[in-house]
Amino acid sequence: MKTIGILYHLARADFFERTRRYSFLVMLGLVLWLSYVLASGQFRIVIQPRYLGVIDSTWVGATMTLGTTMMLGLVGFYLVKGSVARDYTTGVGQIMATTPMSRLLYMLGKWLSNYAVLGITVVILALAGIVMNLWFGHGGLDLVYLVGPLVLIGLPWLGLVAALAVLFESVTWLRGGLGNILYFVLFMALISTTIVPADLGTPGFADNPYIDFTGWQIISDGVTRAAQAAYPDAGGLGFGDFELAGEPAFFVYNGIRWTTTILVSRLLHLFLAVGLVMLASVLFDRFDPARLLPVKRRAAAPEPAPAPAAEPIPVSSVQLTPLSGTETRFRFGALLSAEVKLFLKGQRWWWYAVGAALIVAQLASPSGWVPNLLIAAWLWPILILSGLGCRESRFNTRQIVFCAPRPMSQLPAGWVSAVLVLALLGSGALLRFLLAGDPVAVLGWLTAIVFIPSLALALGTLTGSGKAFEALYVLWMYLLTQKAAPLDFAGLVPGSHFYLFALVAIGLLAIAALARQRQLQAT
Amino acid sequence: MTLEIGPGVLGLLGPNGAGKSTLMRILATITRATEGGVTWNGTDIAQKPDELRQVLGYLPQDFGIYPNLTGQEFLEYMAAIKGMDAKTARRRIEELLIVVNLVDAAKRPLRGYSGGMKQRVGIAQALLNDPQLLIVDEPTVGLDPAERVRFRNLLSDLAGERIIILSTHIVSDVEATATEIVIINKGCQVQRATPGKLLALLDGRVWQWVVPEEELARLKQASLVSGTVRRADGIQVRIVSETAPAAEAHPVAPNLEDVYLSLVSQDGGGR
Repeated sequence: MKTIGILYHLARADFFERTRRYSFLVMLGLVLWLSYVLASGQFRIVIQPRYLGVIDSTWVGATMTLGTTMMLGLVGFYLVKGSVARDYTTGVGQIMATTPMSRLLYMLGKWLSNYAVLGITVVILALAGIVMNLWFGHGGLDLVYLVGPLVLIGLPWLGLVAALAVLFESVTWLRGGLGNILYFVLFMALISTTIVPADLGTPGFADNPYIDFTGWQIISDGVTRAAQAAYPDAGGLGFGDFELAGEPAFFVYNGIRWTTTILVSRLLHLFLAVGLVMLASVLFDRFDPARLLPVKRRAAAPEPAPAPAAEPIPVSSVQLTPLSGTETRFRFGALLSAEVKLFLKGQRWWWYAVGAALIVAQLASPSGWVPNLLIAAWLWPILILSGLGCRESRFNTRQIVFCAPRPMSQLPAGWVSAVLVLALLGSGALLRFLLAGDPVAVLGWLTAIVFIPSLALALGTLTGSGKAFEALYVLWMYLLTQKAAPLDFAGLVPGSHFYLFALVAIGLLAIAALARQRQLQAT
Repeated sequence: MTLEIGPGVLGLLGPNGAGKSTLMRILATITRATEGGVTWNGTDIAQKPDELRQVLGYLPQDFGIYPNLTGQEFLEYMAAIKGMDAKTARRRIEELLIVVNLVDAAKRPLRGYSGGMKQRVGIAQALLNDPQLLIVDEPTVGLDPAERVRFRNLLSDLAGERIIILSTHIVSDVEATATEIVIINKGCQVQRATPGKLLALLDGRVWQWVVPEEELARLKQASLVSGTVRRADGIQVRIVSETAPAAEAHPVAPNLEDVYLSLVSQDGGGR
């Protein structure tokens, strides 16, 4: 009982700490937006070439479940990751390390807290589903069909995501940016192996739900069967902002046939999540810096010995030269150079190597690959971009930075440095657009390098954290790879109104300026 | 609280929660006062904060650094933010690294610095622009004894034509450097005077003698005990009192700790 009590309080305190942060509100906003996109049909399940399900509880349940697993599976990881890191930076971890609490208990507490936060998002999606059902639906509301797949497929998958976040935080080298990138690669690999392209229409893993973590094949199997029963030419399932090839035709989807195998597989996924947490507890260093990897230890040079107490060096031997008459004035060039240095400092050689490879790939690859390479190149500096507007909060430098003359001028300097980095990383594609004489593509490119830092700056100054941007940006870029035209700020999807994002960028910059003003007054 | 501050070192003393750090943040243009105002050479700093920020050096009580920058790079970054030209900044940083004893560590990333070394980086950034107003909040926290002495000497050297406002709980730091001391409690000024005048307040009112250990609890209830030292024959106590509290008690010279405790206890203690 005592152990359960500790676990409860650990998870509870962590949950409260997260949900009382301003960034949590932004996260809720993101999930609400996601709910709206799904409920309004902007993102929907489509059976090729032009078939849609009749909107009822089973159809809404399937839509919301795929939204949960395909989108929250990616973005949720970034939303919940960082709890252990916070215990490091706040020093709370070191206090916890001196208590009898075991590593397993600590990790279980973190997992439960992660799970609770992700659970809230599922509740929001379920509520949005109910609204969608009542507003657009035919027939009555059947909660079992609507909520069932969310609970039985969505929640076990999010349990795994919550456990992966804990696992990544338990390993020193996965705690930071490398872990974030690795998860993105893993997720994309999982999605690309799970999802059979919509035009093929042959479910690949339908008979093996044990490895169908996202539930894609379980839902896809039932939906395609129902469509093919009504329309023999019905093809594969697509989930996204798909254009229909002709007038839509509707079919009735009767929901998932819950077999024992499917139910057992979901239970096993939950056990797997607990297993991952146990593995995390083994790998976790329990806030002991001495357990750092040998590489890190070598990098940390020994401190110079302090001056002996008995013989303090008299300060009079090192007089400071007075600077009287030296005017300090606004030097944007110097400020920009300092910001760029701060921006890029601390990146390892491989970060530059991958960046360079992405530029070369944009130049050398077939033209059809360029959009996705550009997305990858602009996603690459996500961890640098997410520091925009919130670096001072993250590193607690607000007081010394904000009392400098013209503290607002740091904002444009940071923004321009981000624009320069994005321009460099996307320079291969720009060169190709210019050589091809494609002014629309060039305009799209320009819009993107202006819009992305504006979004980062606005979210950073508003939330005081990079988490909201990281989560939204990853999701946004993922949806761009899925050709979501309304979200295209870079002119990568034919026919998109990307230029509108230039106006949005101006609005975001105004928001950032107001939020910084608020930060300056609230420090 | 009304203060007019001229050149010299002004020491701020007060219990936890007295408002020292809030006052310093207001003076450093970080926090906007909800009531009242602050002027710098006649300019309202709430209206025109940059007038003061040009000549301000500020070391907060709790501050962070950018862990991936080296000590030197961090100072270069702060110099750029303060609008210093590169040449002047470079020369100044070289001197400051010597002054704060960080020359050997200047090229190492800040993430490897100890608490005391980070504090010294903080001191250096506050002095970058040769400030006319230097505000330092608990500056000697984390410094070893040698570095503490070095910093106190530095403050004394710097105090000339500039204003230094120093807040600390270490009374000996204030005693060693302050030309004037303000004691605040619950957001109000309790006393403002030179160290000599403050000490004179308790002339002949500080007593010292040795008591048995079991007597100490009763004394603490009845009188203001400003210090105790354990000895082989009992506990040597130090008490602030108008009259001799015991026949064996003998008067001793007051120190600033006696004065501070006496004034704060008269004002109703801390929060």
